[in-house]
Amino acid sequence: MGIGATHIDHIVIQSNDSAATAKLFADQYGIEIKRTMSRPGTRAHLEFAKLQEVIVEFAGPGEVQPYDEVKARLGGFVLAVDDIHAAVTSLRESGWDVGEPHPAVQPGALITGVRGRTNGVPLALIQYNARPLEENSQ
Amino acid sequence: MLTKVHHVGIVVHSADEALKFYRDALGLPVTADQVIEDQGVRGILLQIGGSEIELLEPTRNDTGVARFLESRGEGMHHICFESDDVDKELEAARAKGIELIDEKPRPGLAGMVCFLHPKSNHGVLIEFATPIAGSH
Repeated sequence: MGIGATHIDHIVIQSNDSAATAKLFADQYGIEIKRTMSRPGTRAHLEFAKLQEVIVEFAGPGEVQPYDEVKARLGGFVLAVDDIHAAVTSLRESGWDVGEPHPAVQPGALITGVRGRTNGVPLALIQYNARPLEENSQ
Repeated sequence: MLTKVHHVGIVVHSADEALKFYRDALGLPVTADQVIEDQGVRGILLQIGGSEIELLEPTRNDTGVARFLESRGEGMHHICFESDDVDKELEAARAKGIELIDEKPRPGLAGMVCFLHPKSNHGVLIEFATPIAGSH
């Protein structure tokens, strides 16, 4: 059994000042920030580092308040799968509640979340180069 | 130099229950499963690509993992970065004034490991690990 998970695609670090947290990781540990963006449709500020196959995503609000203290926490992770539709079917057959795959921010990718029973971990699945949803429904 | 994410650590009430998801439903292979007596935890590593997921179940109530579970419930506990020289990473962190939990590397499930205090990382608990040659 299994869902064809190939690797951890990304790990989210949520912060009330994602730029400051990304800078701290870069300055203290030499983790190079490769990309900065605002999430489309939101005002979230995202910064990304990549260590081999795993992306570390620093996520926070677009407008940073003058916080007394920057606070961050691990906010979940996303597993890359070969076939997201097969993965969803497999998890549902095993009794897990999984959302419908929908287009991700990344072009050509589909993403969905596992709803609960993941031991307190927000967990999602992503497939890159996924076939279009209309193709899958035929 | 930190080369990759070695693992993410997840604190759970019951490792056996958590395995029903991470091993059985996701299909991830278990690469290590042992009780670390001096840390008061049962630790399980499951491989996914070049990284791993670590499940941590406290085996007694007087440990950091047990306190985390009591105060916050199950969830993500730490992120572990792999280095080819954990001693060097620890010394570099000390020189930068980063608050350390471990004053020197010690054996752990992922090899020789050390933890850095969340206070120095905006609240995120960080582990460095150098796998021991020939281990899983």
